[in-house]
Amino acid sequence: MNIDFLLNSIWVMLGAVLVILMIGGFILLETGSTRMKNAGHIAGKTLLTFSIGSILFWAVGFALAFGKGNALIGLSGFFYSGYDLKGLSLSGAVYFLFQLAFAGISLTIAFGGFAERAKLGAYLAFAVLFSVFVYPPIAHWIWGGGWLAEHGSQDFAGSTVVHLTGAMAAFAATIILKPRIGKYNKDGSANHLAGHNQVFTALSVLLLWVGWFGFNAGSTLSADKAFFGFVALNTNLGAAAGTVSAMIISWLVMGKADVPMMLNGALAGLVAITASCGFVDPWAAVVIGFIAGILVFYSIRFFENRKIDDPIAALSVHGTAGVWGTLSNGLFATKALASVGKPGLFYGGGFHQLGIQAIGVVTCGVFAFIVSYILLLIIKAAMNGIRVTEEEEIIGLDMSEHGSYGYPELVKAE
Amino acid sequence: MGYLKIRNYREQKIGEAACDHFTLNLLHDDIMKRTINLAIEMITNQSGPLPCPFSFFVMGSSGRCEQSVWSDQDHGLIYYEQSDGVKSYFWQLGKEISKGLNAAGYQYCDGGVMASNLLWCKSLSEWQAQLSKWIEESSWESIRYLLIFIDARTIFGENDYVEILKKQIFQTENKAALMTKFLTNSMHLKKGINLLGQLLTETHGPYAGSLNLKEIGIFPYVSAARLLAVKENLLETSTLSRLSSIPETLMSAEKKKLYKNQFLQLLHFRLMYCRHTDYHSGHYLPVSKLSKEDIKRVKEIIKNGSALFHSVRKGLEKGDSNGHK
Repeated sequence: MNIDFLLNSIWVMLGAVLVILMIGGFILLETGSTRMKNAGHIAGKTLLTFSIGSILFWAVGFALAFGKGNALIGLSGFFYSGYDLKGLSLSGAVYFLFQLAFAGISLTIAFGGFAERAKLGAYLAFAVLFSVFVYPPIAHWIWGGGWLAEHGSQDFAGSTVVHLTGAMAAFAATIILKPRIGKYNKDGSANHLAGHNQVFTALSVLLLWVGWFGFNAGSTLSADKAFFGFVALNTNLGAAAGTVSAMIISWLVMGKADVPMMLNGALAGLVAITASCGFVDPWAAVVIGFIAGILVFYSIRFFENRKIDDPIAALSVHGTAGVWGTLSNGLFATKALASVGKPGLFYGGGFHQLGIQAIGVVTCGVFAFIVSYILLLIIKAAMNGIRVTEEEEIIGLDMSEHGSYGYPELVKAE
Repeated sequence: MGYLKIRNYREQKIGEAACDHFTLNLLHDDIMKRTINLAIEMITNQSGPLPCPFSFFVMGSSGRCEQSVWSDQDHGLIYYEQSDGVKSYFWQLGKEISKGLNAAGYQYCDGGVMASNLLWCKSLSEWQAQLSKWIEESSWESIRYLLIFIDARTIFGENDYVEILKKQIFQTENKAALMTKFLTNSMHLKKGINLLGQLLTETHGPYAGSLNLKEIGIFPYVSAARLLAVKENLLETSTLSRLSSIPETLMSAEKKKLYKNQFLQLLHFRLMYCRHTDYHSGHYLPVSKLSKEDIKRVKEIIKNGSALFHSVRKGLEKGDSNGHK
């Protein structure tokens, strides 16, 4: 058997495993950043929606994203049976699994905007619809040979495809769901509904950070020349720079070294470097991550001041940082590394690539937002609302949606 | 009900008095004295005449004559004779005064620093024993109690009891060690200005956008002056009079004038700009209502407050390491 084929398959399989383990990271991130009374619900629904997304992606999503079709959508390979794909030097099933993991992450990010107030039924319905109508078209446009791929749009591992798409769906959800009870006072000032476990949140970031080596370095889809090592190097630098800069900016502006903000900085650095990890030099990875950490700080304040209640900062971490990461290719992509598209502004490519990147961000962002918004309105009409009642929200979704608390002794005692 | 009458009196007078810090604090004293008198009247009607001399003292902002429009209760009681009968009599009085003050518009102290609590209602000899115990224990809590007690000011009854007790603290054997404890218990200060020179207002909650004037502005001045008062055995309780009384070898006349002026301005800002709808709102300065010049002044006040605290801290640490008592 062809040794390249085998090595590529093993490497990408390892990547798929790491990315699926990131779901565990999101479980800890989302539960740690929210309140105890919703912990069991959040942990459980994350696995449940990943399962639903997996089946839908197998049946329909994979074909729409990566099947042969036109510039807008793929149309072959429904109910994928595991055969090898033409033109790919790795196992078709491994490739499928890797892509499925990405779709699952995007879906999980979208649900960040639902946190602590959406009905379980809304999660289930949206998991189905997102996996068919939102994620696959965008994946097709950029990665599946669609119209943005033809223009040379650079998104190495999915700052736009995975993160911005998920964030825009989360944005639509937060707008439709409205803020959680108690988040805003009558005079418009915001209250701090602190997450119940910073240790979970910190561990989640470490888990995601490690998983990101599968996400980014695995996106080489090949072990050839061990280029994945370079991608992992950039990934680590982006994350580290984001952590440090978010800490610095929160210290400078708020006068305190805020732990949740620092953790958001790490994630923002990771999200931003996701688009560019294979196209830029390591020094640029540091700059991209550093700027992402600062952007996330101001972005969180921006959304909060506009009465957009985003409990786990999905809009800022995945949206704002996703936009920045995608655009950063237009500035920092080097001649030698730009295997797709053209070099960036700082490498003699002029504004061409920056323009392409901007078109990608705008079209994908707008598409993900509008389609998600419409889908959610349809679900809302069909289900007679997607938000739990006031009483249910107050007793917690653990009890209202599942009948038992994630922390039974602690929550009942209150 | 008599206390309600006092409350009405308070409501009539306070609007006018609140224009000036000193007038306001005289009014508070007046109201408290009226309340105490009424409580004594009720208890003597109920349980007979006062069994022995006593002293009722206030602490906290009231002890320091630094109350704002609204204030909570911080007080204690010292009686001369020791017997079970006397004890229960004065405890009853302590509870009655506390109830009366609450009715008159002074909310109960969350920490229970009130004469209705036996910890703060004792005979003179019990108080002496308690202070010795606190000094000896030197736990975080007992040091906190001692720091609270340092601000005690007699408002009714015998003047010398509080004085006797304070001197006991001043004359403690290893005062340098005690000073170190006092200092370490006073160190936690809330930051008010970030490295970019902006005011650090509240980011969340009902006072978002306002500055926590109590912790950021007032505490550094109060803590610094209190530490100096203990060091220099001063019986004064107000921050202004403490600053006036410290010897010039410790602080130049110029500096004293500056800090006093700044603290007075701070009290003025609190009275003028904070929304005095209740006890808590009175601690938050709505920065958006301030002119540019006033914001600059507030920043100056905060900077000078922390400069004062740090110079006092430095002085104490130096004295301590040199073995001065």
